[in-house]
Amino acid sequence: MKEIKYVITDPLGMHARPAGMLVKAVAPYASKITVTAPTGTADARRLMALMKLAAKQGMELTFTVEGDDEEKAATDLQAFLTANL
Amino acid sequence: MEFLKKLFKKKTDDFYAPMAGKAVPITQVPDPTFAEGMLGNGIAIEPAEGKVYAPCDATVDMMFTTGHAVSLVADCGAEVLIHVGLETVSLEGKPFTVHVANGDKVKKGQLLLEADIEVIKAAGLPTITPMLICNTDDYPTFNTFVGKDVTNEDVVIALAK
Repeated sequence: MKEIKYVITDPLGMHARPAGMLVKAVAPYASKITVTAPTGTADARRLMALMKLAAKQGMELTFTVEGDDEEKAATDLQAFLTANL
Repeated sequence: MEFLKKLFKKKTDDFYAPMAGKAVPITQVPDPTFAEGMLGNGIAIEPAEGKVYAPCDATVDMMFTTGHAVSLVADCGAEVLIHVGLETVSLEGKPFTVHVANGDKVKKGQLLLEADIEVIKAAGLPTITPMLICNTDDYPTFNTFVGKDVTNEDVVIALAK
């Protein structure tokens, strides 16, 4: 299992667009990817669950990546977060 | 005739227009996040007025604190996202008055929120309002009814599993 901690820098937080982009970014991987915010936990493939986290700028998110392709998935997820959130 | 209609009508889960205005294909939304279906398939409304109504009986899953979007879980299980205007998250709630809260049970036609369309226009943002089914993949039959003026009495999306 890989774990990534990421503090949101986007001033608008994880609203609809970045949540949608995250779902798209993790779609190619078989690994189970879970996001935990201070407001709850969500499956990174579920748009509505991600939006419900209402994750704001400055909040720390913890991603857990578990599965056969976790190394590659975690590397790409880290790059996605840095570029988009 | 009524019984014939019932006889031949495939059972669908119907979603009514959330706003009065012109219903258009989702592909006409000038924002790839919506137009490319990243958040799900759906339709969009070019609103004539700012009142946003429930498209079906549902539970409010999340009213965004800014009031610019609301997600619902329909009684039939569909996950519905209504996003009022584009980039309106940046207005930090100013044009929006919310009328329901997370967890509220709502009936089709119930007022969810009101948007001041003129304030959105004055900010230079599009008022076009996408309504999406986030769990599109659950519905092999996905019909949309667009290209005409609609109110909350007109079905704009019909789904079947």
